[in-house]
Amino acid sequence: MEVGRLPISASQRGKLISAGYTTLSSLSSISASDLARDLKILDSEALEILKVASLNNRLDRPNGGHGIVNGAQTAWEMLHEEQFFPRITTSCADLDEILGGGINCKEVTEIGGVPGIGKTQLGIQLAVNVQIPVEFGGLGGKAVYIDTEGSFMVERAMQIAEACVLDMSHYNDLLRKEDRACQVKLQPSDILENIFYFRICNYTEQMALMNYLDKFISEHKDVKIVIVDSVTFHFRQDFEDLGLRTRLLGGMALKLMNLAKAHSLAVVIFNQVTTKYTEGSYQLALALGDSWSHSCTNRVILYWNGDERYAYIDKSPSLRSASAPFAVTSKGIRNSPSNYKRTKMM
Amino acid sequence: MAPLRSLEQEYPILDPLFQTFCALHGIFSVEDFLLHDLYVLAAFAEQEPDSERLKQGITQVLSIIDGQHQPWLNGMELLADALHNKHVLSTGCDGIDLLLGGGLSAGQLTELVGPSSSGKTQVCLQAVSSVAKKHIGNVVYLDTSNSFSPQRVAHFVGLVSNISFDQARHHFLQNVMNNIVCHSVFDIFTMFAVLHQLEISLRMQLQSGDHRVRLLIIDSISSLITPILGGKGSQGHALMVSAGSLLKKLAHDHNLAVLVTNHTVGGEGGVPKPALGETWKSIPHVRLLLSRDRGNKKCTVSIIKHSSMDSGKAASFDL
Repeated sequence: MEVGRLPISASQRGKLISAGYTTLSSLSSISASDLARDLKILDSEALEILKVASLNNRLDRPNGGHGIVNGAQTAWEMLHEEQFFPRITTSCADLDEILGGGINCKEVTEIGGVPGIGKTQLGIQLAVNVQIPVEFGGLGGKAVYIDTEGSFMVERAMQIAEACVLDMSHYNDLLRKEDRACQVKLQPSDILENIFYFRICNYTEQMALMNYLDKFISEHKDVKIVIVDSVTFHFRQDFEDLGLRTRLLGGMALKLMNLAKAHSLAVVIFNQVTTKYTEGSYQLALALGDSWSHSCTNRVILYWNGDERYAYIDKSPSLRSASAPFAVTSKGIRNSPSNYKRTKMM
Repeated sequence: MAPLRSLEQEYPILDPLFQTFCALHGIFSVEDFLLHDLYVLAAFAEQEPDSERLKQGITQVLSIIDGQHQPWLNGMELLADALHNKHVLSTGCDGIDLLLGGGLSAGQLTELVGPSSSGKTQVCLQAVSSVAKKHIGNVVYLDTSNSFSPQRVAHFVGLVSNISFDQARHHFLQNVMNNIVCHSVFDIFTMFAVLHQLEISLRMQLQSGDHRVRLLIIDSISSLITPILGGKGSQGHALMVSAGSLLKKLAHDHNLAVLVTNHTVGGEGGVPKPALGETWKSIPHVRLLLSRDRGNKKCTVSIIKHSSMDSGKAASFDL
């Protein structure tokens, strides 16, 4: 392998190549002090370079697992693994249906919509729903809520948590009369305790938090959802260098993907809308441009249709394009009442 | 290449005496050796006391250098290679197969460009299921956005199989799915490490003749390159070109078809153009533009660049 493909800094690479070390094999038999003398760098730096090179060398011998590459899985294994990752319900049956059961773990879901459509409400609902215990069909996990706009309201979260506990005890009463042992032990205050809240005030803090999240989640292994509300806010105003913005966003998208995959959690990011001039008319499109479009696994767009709120699956590798209505009530996100009217008339 | 003294272990003829002799003439590495006039060097070697050993050393270095480059091929050998080794793999989409004259060619780097949600991942998944099923080959899928959906692949495989009994179908599905290997990569250096591993295991496989890897998909390569491209240094640019040449080398040496996806960015006049810039334009052998009409879900694919067909041809199909 060429030395240019090792994850080292540009200046170190330049020094290596000008000294004649262009392949990994040329680095395999040299000691750190010789290398340091050749390149005129410190011994510790030379040791770092050799460590990186030997790490890549060690990866060369694929282990027995899959003969082709280390760390890969066959599609058959992945197909069966999917059954073990339950989805996070949104408390709205129609929405859950078009999402294939709810928000999926190990994926990044982007939700965008006009201001006031209910993105933050959906975020708070998901942060509460992820904590539904396993006995009631939930994940029993904790949530990380990253707030960039300051739109998280604790009183509303309390309201939604209380409604959730009430719903769970109703379910308990109705359907599990014989199994009273499974009482609802969860209290609204417990639910609020399990939401880890971060408030971000500028894009530097946002990038720093993304870097820190991996360590945070390794320490709190129960976290099953990370909500970023909203990811665009600090990147829209006053960003002079658009090239830098694209690079930062690209890096952030990959980090979020990595987080979702490595810790098997769901990542939900909210986005704002902007107008785009396409095909002769002004249309609403999600902010941050085309290069941000491949940073999510699924995309859901929330929009108004007359008086009703609708959600539409815009991009998904496995879900069909569909839309479903939903409503924001005092209890949180619920089914849209107009659906009930329709069934009654029949 | 490395300094001469690191070659000493493998080739004991290049002993310190030889190295001192070379150093006298300002030769410290193999590159310096190449730049020097070899007849003059040999003449100087004649005058030294140990001239035979020194001349053997010079011949040894020359043979090491000779071993570094690929063998020369003439036109007939290239034609034979193209006919026997470079097969065409069907993508599972009739429209694309028709457009490309059969499908993806082994030995070529094909790029799928398209705006968001135009069907690039779906085409990749269909190609995966088609190759794993029809061509009895292994597929390696490098995924950057967790969008590899095994259910979708199982659906595509099940679509075209006509085995009626459930047990047989289950067994068949398992065999096919076991041929597909998926790895998540989230930065370009991991991708290089994985490709390097793949290269080594392919070289070992050549001797054993197992189920060969036939298709390599990277979805999407633009999300790996965008975070490093641009900015102050040219490291990102160098890495992009290096990635392109590594993929083409893998395709040619091991008869793989390589498929990568790219996204579009806004160009002049609002017309979207492929991302990754001007340099990347010349790297893939075949570039296809995918677009989807929201209204009727029809996909249109057109050729932007092809090494042996006209560009501008288009076809449409349903996904």
